[in-house]
Amino acid sequence: MNLFKVFLAEDDEFYGKLLRHHLSLNPDFDVELFTSGGDLFNNLYKRPDVISLDYTLPDMSGAELLRKIKKQYPEIPVIIVSGQEDITTAVNLLKEGAYDYIVKDKDTKDRLWNSIRHIRENAKLKTEIDRLREEVNLKYDFSNIKGSSPAIRSVFKLIEKAAQSNITVSIYGETGTGKELVAKAIHYNSGRKKKPFVAFNIAAIPSELIESELFGHEKGAFTGAISRRIGKFEEADGGTLFLDEIGEMELHLQAKLLRVLQEKEVVRIGSNTPIKIDCRIICATHRDLTEEVKAGKFREDLYYRLLGLPIHLPPLRDRGNDIIILAKHFADEFAKENKMDKVTITPEAQEKLMRYHWPGNVRELKAVIELAVVMSEGGKITESEINFSSSNTIQNFFNEKGTLRDFTNKIIQYYLEKHNFNVLEVAKKLDIGKSTIYRLIKNKEITINK
Amino acid sequence: MGNMYNLRQLEELSGGMSEFVDSMIETFLEHTPSQLNDMVKAFKEGRWMDMGNLAHKIKPSIDLFEIPGIQQTIREIEKIGKSGTSAPDLEQKVMEVEKILNQVFNQLKNR
Repeated sequence: MNLFKVFLAEDDEFYGKLLRHHLSLNPDFDVELFTSGGDLFNNLYKRPDVISLDYTLPDMSGAELLRKIKKQYPEIPVIIVSGQEDITTAVNLLKEGAYDYIVKDKDTKDRLWNSIRHIRENAKLKTEIDRLREEVNLKYDFSNIKGSSPAIRSVFKLIEKAAQSNITVSIYGETGTGKELVAKAIHYNSGRKKKPFVAFNIAAIPSELIESELFGHEKGAFTGAISRRIGKFEEADGGTLFLDEIGEMELHLQAKLLRVLQEKEVVRIGSNTPIKIDCRIICATHRDLTEEVKAGKFREDLYYRLLGLPIHLPPLRDRGNDIIILAKHFADEFAKENKMDKVTITPEAQEKLMRYHWPGNVRELKAVIELAVVMSEGGKITESEINFSSSNTIQNFFNEKGTLRDFTNKIIQYYLEKHNFNVLEVAKKLDIGKSTIYRLIKNKEITINK
Repeated sequence: MGNMYNLRQLEELSGGMSEFVDSMIETFLEHTPSQLNDMVKAFKEGRWMDMGNLAHKIKPSIDLFEIPGIQQTIREIEKIGKSGTSAPDLEQKVMEVEKILNQVFNQLKNR
């Protein structure tokens, strides 16, 4: 672990040594003592983590040195230790950027210790936040949106263009196509990535709460408003506000949203004071907004305000081999996260994946693959481990490849399973001869394994 | 006469490092006599502010060596000095601090 570098400026050698020794008792601190401001300033290239300055140094005042340090190294916290119990001096120094002001008395060394300990804890938290932020950036890197089909490649180009500008983005696509993932990829690759990404799903919030959630409210603005609350627009200040399922917004709220977007300011419910907002808007919907506009369910002016750069996400069934690329990616990711051995997907299982209609798109594929990884044995996902739970079975049935004979056999197999392999009952139900079924069993075209 | 100082705080702070105790005594003997002389001189010349500032610098050593009787006196000199005016018993206070500190210097030199 790196030592926390502490610079002390104290012209009184006795007192300086005392403080240095006291702080050095912490094995994590590396303390360096300077007897003049100039000496300390000339050593700043060593990049201390914290500086403690005596207010009255022989060559310059603590205030003067503080200003010089803050001009060149604004990020280094500076603590002023002073014999003056003058509130005005303390306030002025704090205004000029001092982290703390400690009056010299018998408790100084303990106060200094505590102040430095707080700074160190904050620095550790900041490092942790930076690390997590970096992790999030990587998670939403373009490379994490998998696929090489022409349909998805054109989406990549649009994401890149969106990330390079501040333009409003509207994302269209069926449920499960990854609209939020694309919104995050745009945000975390844009100049706003260090500011918040706030996602708000309009369909998930009761309509009567949407207004206060989006714009915030003042204490007492309505029954239940027990304290002031900032809205999503304010929360996303400097960053990105992702309005998911925008097509579900009621008309009266659409008018309010339009006003906010035009004026670039919000007024909390129960307040008259407008608050300037600076956030990029990305919206998404699974609906065709042009149709909604024609039907009078979506305001035309808001539609054009939100349109910006439209990105249409292709349904998974139109992405060809991306299904396999994504399936392998999800299998690897799930195995890694669960500390399991890597699994492969057999060609038959891949074929089954390719034949399916994927009404739930990428989200459904992920769920199917994760279950398959759990059920797999011997490091292989076979056809039998690929199970679809979609209610759209008829659509899937017709999406399967095969001859009329294949389909006939499948129907008979389905009825056999449904009727507990009672051949007579199935023959009667389907109005076919029982010998037909026995022949298919004999030819191994259907099975009667219970 | 017994010691007019107590190394208890210093030893406690040292965490068992006798070199630290020796180093602090050395620093004390190196710097404080001249600070004391400067303080007495400032008093004699009526430079109250300088006198107060010097008293402020001497104060931590008096506390650390737990020198009895003058821990409060040095604070009073500092306060008077910073007020910018003299006080009726100031001379007595300065002389008292000078006398006791000189005794401590001798004792520490010969310990």
